[in-house]
Amino acid sequence: MIEVKAVSKIYGKKQSAFTALDDVSFTVPTGATVAIIGKSGSGKSTLMHIMSGLDHPNSGEVVVDGQVLQHLKRKAMDRFRATEMSFIFQAFFVEGSQTAYQNVALPLEIAEIRRRRKLIRQALEQVDLLDKINERANNLSGGQKQRLAIARAIVNKPKLIFADEPTGNLDSVTGDKIIKLLFDLNKSIGNTLCVVTHDEELATRCQIRITLKDGHVVDIKDTTKAKRGSAHATK
Amino acid sequence: MRLSDTLLRSGRNLRQAKARTLLTALAIGVGAFALTLTLAASNGAQGFVNKIIADNFDPSELIVTKDNSLFGKTDTSKPQVYDDSYVATTSRAGATTQVKQLTNDDITKIQAIKGVEEVRKDLSISLQYITRPGQKKYIGTVNAFSPSQNPDLVAGKLVKPLKNDSILVPEAFVSALGFKNDNQAVGQELTLAVRKPFDQAILEQALQQGGAVNDAKLQQLDQQSTYTKTFTIAAVLKKPTTVQPGTELDMYINAADADTLNDVATQGTASYHRYTIVYARINNGKDKAVLKAAQQRITKAGYSTQSVEDTEAFLTQIITVLRGIVAAFGAIAVIASVFGVVNTMYISVLQRTREIGLMKALGMPKRDVGRLFKVEAAWIGFLGGALGSLLAFAVGTALNPWITKKLDFGGQRLLIFRLPQVVVLIVALMLVAIFAGLLPARKAAKLDPIEALRTE
Repeated sequence: MIEVKAVSKIYGKKQSAFTALDDVSFTVPTGATVAIIGKSGSGKSTLMHIMSGLDHPNSGEVVVDGQVLQHLKRKAMDRFRATEMSFIFQAFFVEGSQTAYQNVALPLEIAEIRRRRKLIRQALEQVDLLDKINERANNLSGGQKQRLAIARAIVNKPKLIFADEPTGNLDSVTGDKIIKLLFDLNKSIGNTLCVVTHDEELATRCQIRITLKDGHVVDIKDTTKAKRGSAHATK
Repeated sequence: MRLSDTLLRSGRNLRQAKARTLLTALAIGVGAFALTLTLAASNGAQGFVNKIIADNFDPSELIVTKDNSLFGKTDTSKPQVYDDSYVATTSRAGATTQVKQLTNDDITKIQAIKGVEEVRKDLSISLQYITRPGQKKYIGTVNAFSPSQNPDLVAGKLVKPLKNDSILVPEAFVSALGFKNDNQAVGQELTLAVRKPFDQAILEQALQQGGAVNDAKLQQLDQQSTYTKTFTIAAVLKKPTTVQPGTELDMYINAADADTLNDVATQGTASYHRYTIVYARINNGKDKAVLKAAQQRITKAGYSTQSVEDTEAFLTQIITVLRGIVAAFGAIAVIASVFGVVNTMYISVLQRTREIGLMKALGMPKRDVGRLFKVEAAWIGFLGGALGSLLAFAVGTALNPWITKKLDFGGQRLLIFRLPQVVVLIVALMLVAIFAGLLPARKAAKLDPIEALRTE
């Protein structure tokens, strides 16, 4: 479960201060799919950075499974990110000169996990790229690259996956496939999926939709509320 | 990230930028090349010195003189006050110095010092000539053979100590004295002639006997003053490695024969039974502490001493200086290459900003990110070191026979490559490269992942 409690983020100081997030609060139950929606500049990327511990809020805190991220020391934060969460980016960020295998191996190397081959094959199989295991990422198509990035994101079996505009660089057909893959994986693995997007179609498929505008939460649609009653907004 | 993974990842990164890596490594390679050759050359020079020492000196012997003027302590650029107790001698280098000499009493005294096993005179006699029937006469020098000498032979056999009336001659005399070949010369006889000092008594006798002294009379006296002795060639010497240039053609006879010839040559002069240098062999002198103690006792008795180690130190001095100069050039090349490594590593960090951002976002600790780049720098250092030393080895091996022949190193190779030295050198260069990579690695470690991953 992720609890975002009264998070505010201000960039700059005094006159030039800019409030990116203002008193944002919501709760996401484990295994749920969340979409953070908003126009560019609405603060959705900043919110994702704070939720993943990459950025620090000026006030408020993020609690993941009882752990207050802001209380973790840097080493523990690194460890937490290496084992509990992963990322999927709009621009894929796969290393073109490296093979699919080497790309997927990176999180495992960072987490210092041995016996990687089986895990890597499993992850590639889940995104249907096992036949490209020794192919250089440069030789893959855009959709394949994003599937490779997804394999990299799921290989260390994280509880929490952040996806920043995962379909932004893809045509609609390929994008649809990627969306389907993400939701299928969410069902089979049971990870929490947090998508930052302005793609309405992607957003509507998520159980929780949080709409941001100028750093404020303007709307929360929670389809899990009926069952669990745990996601609510505090204004 | 584990070190093995770091090694593999940084190695892959280098392979991606082959040209850049190779060029940077080559810069280090230049330094490695110079340093490897310097090490090899100084190994060779050291080996040469060691061979000279081993061929000419017994490590358990001390050189003993009456005073220290012989060991270069006299300033020959200033006029020296005449001292009655000195005998003026001309050194081979041409400078005249006053040298106090040892008498037989001194030798007895040294012999009696605790630890001294044997005292051997250093005798070197300038011959009037050397010849054999029907051949030309040649000038030459004959020395007392030291049992510690191990000259290379081309014919005959070396029996230690040398038998009476036997002589070791250098190969150059074989054909000069009309022998067909080296083996034929062995066992043949030679005549050595020594000039007796022009005896004042004989001259006066001649004056009393018959009026004026004319040239003919002098010539007759001259002939009377020649002493000859016959020797048998025991062995023929290969051109030897020696301490002093100009002694390559010296011949050797045993100590007793040398004593006889020396006495004949010096009888009636101030040098009679006076010796510039004697060698004192010390019991168990191979043990440096024992040698040192004996050296102190002899010095205490009022003599000057020098051990083989002192001689070696003197000979090595020049080598050390030369080695220092070349090593300094190599070091400068390495220092220059450090800037190349810094530059290359900065470019590497810059090119991989996103990758670094991703790795940090995925929870790679700062330390590991820094290490990734330090290891990459170490790879460059390793490549440069390996390239340079390999090239030095190739060039050195190819040129070694030619250089050795040109320098006439007496069978010694000039360049001697030692693997442990090369390994140490490469490791040192890797450390230098890591040092050069410190700042770029720090930059990478401090990179903000949010900034690095910004796509807009």
